[in-house]
Amino acid sequence: MKNLKSKILNGLFKIWVFLLSIPLVLIYVPIRGIVRQFRKIVLKKHDVKHHYQGHNRTLLALEKGALGSNETAQTNRNFIYFILAAITPYLLFVIVPFLMGIYFSFTNWTGLNTGNEIFIGFANYKNIFSSFAFAYSFYRTAIYSVLNIIFINLVAFLLALLVTQKLKLTNVYRAGFFMPNLIGGLVLGYIWQFIYRNALPSIGGILTNSLISNPDTAMGALIVVITWQYAGYIMMIYIAALQNVPTDLIEASKIDGANAWQRLRTITMPLVAQAFTIAMFLTLVTSFKQYDTVMALTQGGPATTLPQFLQNIFAAPNRTVESLNLMAINIYDSAFVRYEMGVGQAKAIIFFIILLIISLTQVYYNKKKEVEL
Amino acid sequence: MKKILLSLLALLTVFTLAACGGDGSKLVIFQNKVEIGTALTTYANAWAAKNDVNVEVVTCGGDSCAYGTQILAEFQKAEQPDIFVIEGMGGYNDYKDYILSLDGEAWLTDTDLEFKVNGVAYGFPVAVEGWGMGYNKAILTAAGVDPDTLTSLAAYTTAFAAIQAYYTANNMTDYVVVSMAAGSGMEWVTGLHNFNGYLSSGLTPGDSSVIDNLNDGVVNTARLQAYADWVELLFQYSPNSILIDGTYDIQVQAFDSGKAAFIHQGNWIDPNLDEATFEIGYAPHAAAAGTNDAIFISAPSYYVINKNSDNIEEAKKFLQDLASTPEGHDYMVTKAGMVAAFKSVTLLPDGKLSRAMVEWMNEGKIYSWWQNDMPSGFGMQTLGPIYTLYARKTITKTEFIARVTTEIQDLG
Repeated sequence: MKNLKSKILNGLFKIWVFLLSIPLVLIYVPIRGIVRQFRKIVLKKHDVKHHYQGHNRTLLALEKGALGSNETAQTNRNFIYFILAAITPYLLFVIVPFLMGIYFSFTNWTGLNTGNEIFIGFANYKNIFSSFAFAYSFYRTAIYSVLNIIFINLVAFLLALLVTQKLKLTNVYRAGFFMPNLIGGLVLGYIWQFIYRNALPSIGGILTNSLISNPDTAMGALIVVITWQYAGYIMMIYIAALQNVPTDLIEASKIDGANAWQRLRTITMPLVAQAFTIAMFLTLVTSFKQYDTVMALTQGGPATTLPQFLQNIFAAPNRTVESLNLMAINIYDSAFVRYEMGVGQAKAIIFFIILLIISLTQVYYNKKKEVEL
Repeated sequence: MKKILLSLLALLTVFTLAACGGDGSKLVIFQNKVEIGTALTTYANAWAAKNDVNVEVVTCGGDSCAYGTQILAEFQKAEQPDIFVIEGMGGYNDYKDYILSLDGEAWLTDTDLEFKVNGVAYGFPVAVEGWGMGYNKAILTAAGVDPDTLTSLAAYTTAFAAIQAYYTANNMTDYVVVSMAAGSGMEWVTGLHNFNGYLSSGLTPGDSSVIDNLNDGVVNTARLQAYADWVELLFQYSPNSILIDGTYDIQVQAFDSGKAAFIHQGNWIDPNLDEATFEIGYAPHAAAAGTNDAIFISAPSYYVINKNSDNIEEAKKFLQDLASTPEGHDYMVTKAGMVAAFKSVTLLPDGKLSRAMVEWMNEGKIYSWWQNDMPSGFGMQTLGPIYTLYARKTITKTEFIARVTTEIQDLG
């Protein structure tokens, strides 16, 4: 059973994957072209037509002029005109900057020597891989993302279960839980900074010292804020999925004597697995790209000592790092605070590749769990 | 049909590109002080009307606009600002390809605070700012401390103890000795302003030996040791509620309400001191061993002219008029509330800390600012977190020194 809502969600998800895979396609297309040209040359030597038949019938037919060749060409041209409106801004604002970014990551660009930058090969990348600060940022971002994905999805799913029950005022609850998502990340950061710095310490006890000034608790504090903001949004996805679970199946299981937990685990969960794929993908990507709220909440701090295992790996004893210096913040600092645009670009490329691999893996495994009626 | 479509498309492209061109006859001033934005715009408009020039003031600074990032973006555009702001050697090195030499300008004879590199003047001082240990004279007097004696670490140690004893004796539990913040977000106070004590305290103005050493990765161990003693003392007498958890507002509020004997901030907090009725003065930072007899005073930023500007003459005239006309003086001191860097200016600033600073300036007791000459990001991003750790007592003074040493050596 596939209805409209899940189709839309599925479609959205495919667009995401499509956007991420565009650069790969861009590399693939020219390579395919070269391979084809090469094959043509090779094949020509041994009588092309004999071996080539059937591989690409349209092409062959066009060559022979069997099909109305003018008509086909016309259709192709029209097609190009239609997609031009969409593809031009996409090329201009996504693909070209992306490719320029790749180029700049191999230069000593500072943002000011534009046009005079020097190609320096993999020096920026070497620099990054020997940097304990970037490794620490990746380590913290990974921890943060894992915890964040768990918390947001758990809270969102529980909220979704709650508001799909037969309660009074369910729509009010839904709107209420969704509301924090409408507040911008920066505003939210400042509001919570006030809560953590002024409101909570006034309660006293273990809260006397602000949670966001302590490197051990700052990440927890951040996760609370992000969950509060984002769980309502993810909840909406789960609500859509939960409403699609057929009531006859639930009723049948009730008659068979399944308790609430059994119903949830064996009927509801597998049927909403598709929503899990999407929700986890969204939370994964937003967690990795987390920037604005952290910036407003703690500016990347508070400071802490580099963990022992990283000290050992990088032979960098007694170094100071900032506990919420997540990858996006680290990249921003390189590019705009230290004016190392080339390094910042290289970090962004590495970030992109890591995110691509992790999200594709996640989607692959989640997809396996999905069932269809 | 196809041809019409194509020509339409071509036409559209031409228009789009032409729209990006703009006209170059407007004098664009790109500046970073939000608090003077309105006053500067008003002044600039009046000046523009008088001189028949188009002027636009663009303000980007404070919490809502990162000047450093935005100015970088401005220089990627086709149309760049004609006058923009740099904050010292760091900014000069970043933008030197764009900065015009201002040698020979008349206003240079009227100030000592112009920005120079190798004897060539490049920057017009926007204002004068300074910081030291701002003190509440009422508390100091009550505790029996004479501010004039506060010139060495030993004197401060005695004074802080005396004030603390005075608080204890009078049951003033919510009073603090030093209001200073070192938590995240306050790295500019520690990593830049406080660390400048290491770079310039006890040296004659313009002596760049320590900062040059730092940029070469060389540590002046004895100086760093003495400086760390000073940091230790400050942190010891600053309460955790301000030192670790405090924001700028909390820090200034403590002093404004008259409940802090000292504040580690510059004269820019004057507008925030609306409750303070007590007498305020500045005492030196005892950051170097021996006697420290000056406070840190300099022009925090400079107007520079874009070498590629189409309006160089207008830009030069704008700066000259700012320095030499009564309207310019009135704008700088009265309207914008700044301390002017020019000797011919006779107007006195309103703010109590500004007046206290002018006293030091007029006596010529000045320590230089070198904090902006460190590599971009070094003070706030690299050193700042070390102060936070030390404030939280996660590391000891020895470790503090070791970590600062390692970071400086990394610059070599």
